[in-house]
Amino acid sequence: MFERRLFFHVDWLLLAAILALMSIGVAMIYSTTYIQIPEPGRPGSQFYTQIYAIGLGLIAMVVFLLIDYRKLAESSLFLYGGLLLLLIYVLFRGSTQFNATRWIAIGPFNLQPSEFGRVTIALMLAMFFGENRRGARNIGDLAMAGIFAGVPILLIARQPDLGTAVTLIPVAFGIAYLAGLRMKFIGILALCALVLAWPAWHFALKDYQRTRIVTFINPDLDPQGDGYQQRQARITVGSGGLSGKGFMNGTQGQYKFLPVAHNDFIFSVLAEEKGFLGVLVALGLYLFVILRSIEAARLSKDRIGAYLVGGIISGFAFQVIYNITMSAGLAPVKGLTLPLMSYGGSSIIATLAGFGLILNVRMRRFTN
Amino acid sequence: MQLVIAGFFALLVVAFWVFQVAQHQKFAEIAENNHQRRLPMPAPRGVLFDRDGKVLVENQNTINIALVREQSGNIDRTLRVLAAATGADEAKLRETVSRRRREPSYRPIVLIENASSPQLAAFKARRLELPGIIEQPLPARQYPSNDLGAHLFGYVSEASETDLTRPEYAGAEAGSMVGKAGIEQAYNKLLMGTDGDRLVVVNSRGREMSIAHETPPEEGQRVQLTIDADVQRATEEGFRHFGYNGAAVLLDPRNGEVLAFTSLPAYNPNQFAGGIDASSWNELMENPLKPLQNRALQGRYSPGSTFKIAVAVAALEEGVATPDFRVFCPGGATFYNRYFQCHLKGGHGSVDMRHAIEKSCNVYFYTLGKMLEVDRIHKWASLLGLGEKSGIDLPNELKGLVPSTEWKKTTREPKWYPGETISVSIGQGQVSVTPISLATMMMTVANGGTRYTPHVLKAVDKGKGWEPVAPPPPQSTARMKQSTIDTLHEGLWMVVNAAGTGGRGKIVGYNVAGKTGTAQMISLTGAKIAKGKIDVRDHGWFVFFAPHDKPEIAGVIFAERSEHGYLGAPIAKYAMETYFAKKEGRPLPTLPPLAPPPARVVATATQPVATTAQVRQ
Repeated sequence: MFERRLFFHVDWLLLAAILALMSIGVAMIYSTTYIQIPEPGRPGSQFYTQIYAIGLGLIAMVVFLLIDYRKLAESSLFLYGGLLLLLIYVLFRGSTQFNATRWIAIGPFNLQPSEFGRVTIALMLAMFFGENRRGARNIGDLAMAGIFAGVPILLIARQPDLGTAVTLIPVAFGIAYLAGLRMKFIGILALCALVLAWPAWHFALKDYQRTRIVTFINPDLDPQGDGYQQRQARITVGSGGLSGKGFMNGTQGQYKFLPVAHNDFIFSVLAEEKGFLGVLVALGLYLFVILRSIEAARLSKDRIGAYLVGGIISGFAFQVIYNITMSAGLAPVKGLTLPLMSYGGSSIIATLAGFGLILNVRMRRFTN
Repeated sequence: MQLVIAGFFALLVVAFWVFQVAQHQKFAEIAENNHQRRLPMPAPRGVLFDRDGKVLVENQNTINIALVREQSGNIDRTLRVLAAATGADEAKLRETVSRRRREPSYRPIVLIENASSPQLAAFKARRLELPGIIEQPLPARQYPSNDLGAHLFGYVSEASETDLTRPEYAGAEAGSMVGKAGIEQAYNKLLMGTDGDRLVVVNSRGREMSIAHETPPEEGQRVQLTIDADVQRATEEGFRHFGYNGAAVLLDPRNGEVLAFTSLPAYNPNQFAGGIDASSWNELMENPLKPLQNRALQGRYSPGSTFKIAVAVAALEEGVATPDFRVFCPGGATFYNRYFQCHLKGGHGSVDMRHAIEKSCNVYFYTLGKMLEVDRIHKWASLLGLGEKSGIDLPNELKGLVPSTEWKKTTREPKWYPGETISVSIGQGQVSVTPISLATMMMTVANGGTRYTPHVLKAVDKGKGWEPVAPPPPQSTARMKQSTIDTLHEGLWMVVNAAGTGGRGKIVGYNVAGKTGTAQMISLTGAKIAKGKIDVRDHGWFVFFAPHDKPEIAGVIFAERSEHGYLGAPIAKYAMETYFAKKEGRPLPTLPPLAPPPARVVATATQPVATTAQVRQ
């Protein structure tokens, strides 16, 4: 199944960039979760968990690299069905943390099925549009795609995990765009969204979601309360300066002024400890990963491959840009991780599986 | 699509550049304030030693419980919990906080001074409910002998805003502990040291994580006093033993060093060190015996017969009389058409200067007064330190008064009547003195005319061993004739050792010279009017030096309400015995038990008023 020559078509540069970003992430997790007291201190458990997760993620990556993506796409309906089952299971039987039910406890691990939504939906939609020779020309196809993406999005939003749910939307749109969805439709959808915004504000959003948006607009309204994270994020980033305070010397992250520093705000900590220069390096790597992946989509020998890569990388790019914007205190705070860097086992495994597919598509660009 | 994404990244680069480079300064400052707290580290005050190196005043660490408002989310709640946990009065805590609400919110406000260990335990147990409440170790002033030498040492308490304008409090901040009386105030600058501070790193919950920077406090200088702890103790013990309040100052007549200094009743300065509570303060303020008054420096009393020493010196030095000048005392004499009594109805007969001093013959001194006139008395009294400030290095000294024609011009009745001189010449009339000025007089008479400035500072240690401090220059020098000195010394020796009133001060082998006096409280007629309403018992003086030919200790015992000067003499005796025993390495003396036990006569309505008030011994 794996031909030897394929090995030479693996995109080592992309892989290197991914590994580099994960290393930066691990270093920042080490720094922010290091247990200082009692002296001399020790690394926090998150550091080790992340390394295990990366190990598992690399295995997942290899698996998703070795199996021909077309085979995977063909069986995407099963994967999709499995995803829905897991999400439904979570709603009824999931484990609850921080007022949200997002996880399935498997022994000592907590699996977060929603993280695998992006890859599954990308496979599903790539298959759906790729098989359809006409492309997404008619409303029926689009509606079909909308339903495919919409069901898991609603299930995830119910957990509630608006952040992760939202990241599925760009996956769907990315594929629809590549499949020929005209901008006109996107415009119409945006208009609908605006019209729906008012009832959504009043009926669909929960209180904490509303306050997040309000405090984003004016973070100084309540500096100790909801605007706190945003304010602290800006202080964290700004105080880093050009070259940063040095590894493990950040005060905002180390002393927990910035909440969930190892998770949602890991990029802020990078900015604090490594400064603007560190930010440039990380942004450069992310941009490289995204552009290189888009190139993989372009090089793909078939539409399924192109759509698959496009969908995965759209979701990835959206999440990266949103999280980094939020890290600078410039976007409402949402429970949205930074792929490849943030702490989170399921996120790392799912992201690496996704990149496994991207490498897969590029690697097999010459095969039949 | 690539372009759109690259565009987003470019925007992010710009955003990070704006925050991290363009506005870095601003955010860096906020981050600093976020995680650093400046905690003051009060410097321990300098330790006070006596002349032999015995510790007199030291420091003890106490722990205050304080509030840092900026770390306390809900001050109301915090105070409520704290009050409930420690048993402190919640209203009082609130008042303390509101009184200091204008201070920066990072500055700790002390809520409970000198917290007890149950209070500390209760606080620690509920620490999580008490954000912003901290423990503040504080070196507190400790006076091991409690009220011994209270007026000498003074006390410390928090500086008020108005205090800060005074020179001795330069460098102090509102709320820092400063000396408020005695040596603590006079040498506040030496003793205070320099507060340090500690920059601590705190996490988002205010927990201290590490120390970023520390400027250690500089302890105040160690100060050696001229005080002899044993003589000081003996003096106060004497007062208590014989049941008197009053004041005493013992000096070394060779240099003005203060060996003992007391004013009784005293207060316990330890009460102030931890912050005195309002009721104790009011008690001190309203106590009719005025324990806060430093009688030695601020009490002004009639000198009575002790003033005759000054008159004798004036007469001898001005040449109006020789030591052999004799006066016949028939028990009284008429001057300027008014009859003045001597205290001995039958008269002293013919007396010369020495015997006039010994017997304290009024008629003799009336005669000298008439010959001298008031201004020459004033001149010599001043040279001996009476009516002047002694210049002692302790705060708030007051002047007594020795009348003169010059002074009289400033009063409502500007003309001096020669008859007034007659009263002045036996220490009555307008004359008033402070105990320290009488001690100064005795020192000056003892050493032959040099009025050294009494001082308590002997040496300081800035960390490199004791450096002696140069004594202050003398206030005045009047080289007295040897015959004057001899006459005075002999006459005063006879007071104690022959037929005088000071026999109770006699120490065999030490040739104590002295003089008693009575500070009249009220005139004979006044006494009748005031009878039973106020305490009109007279104060007793005993002034002394020893040995009479080579004096090394001189001083004054002022025994309040003792009625007779000689009753203070045993106190002086005990203090001098202690001094000599210590000097010669003998065991220190102890006081014999009193029989009957010291029962002080209390003025009652039926108590007869001394009828001899007009007549001095």
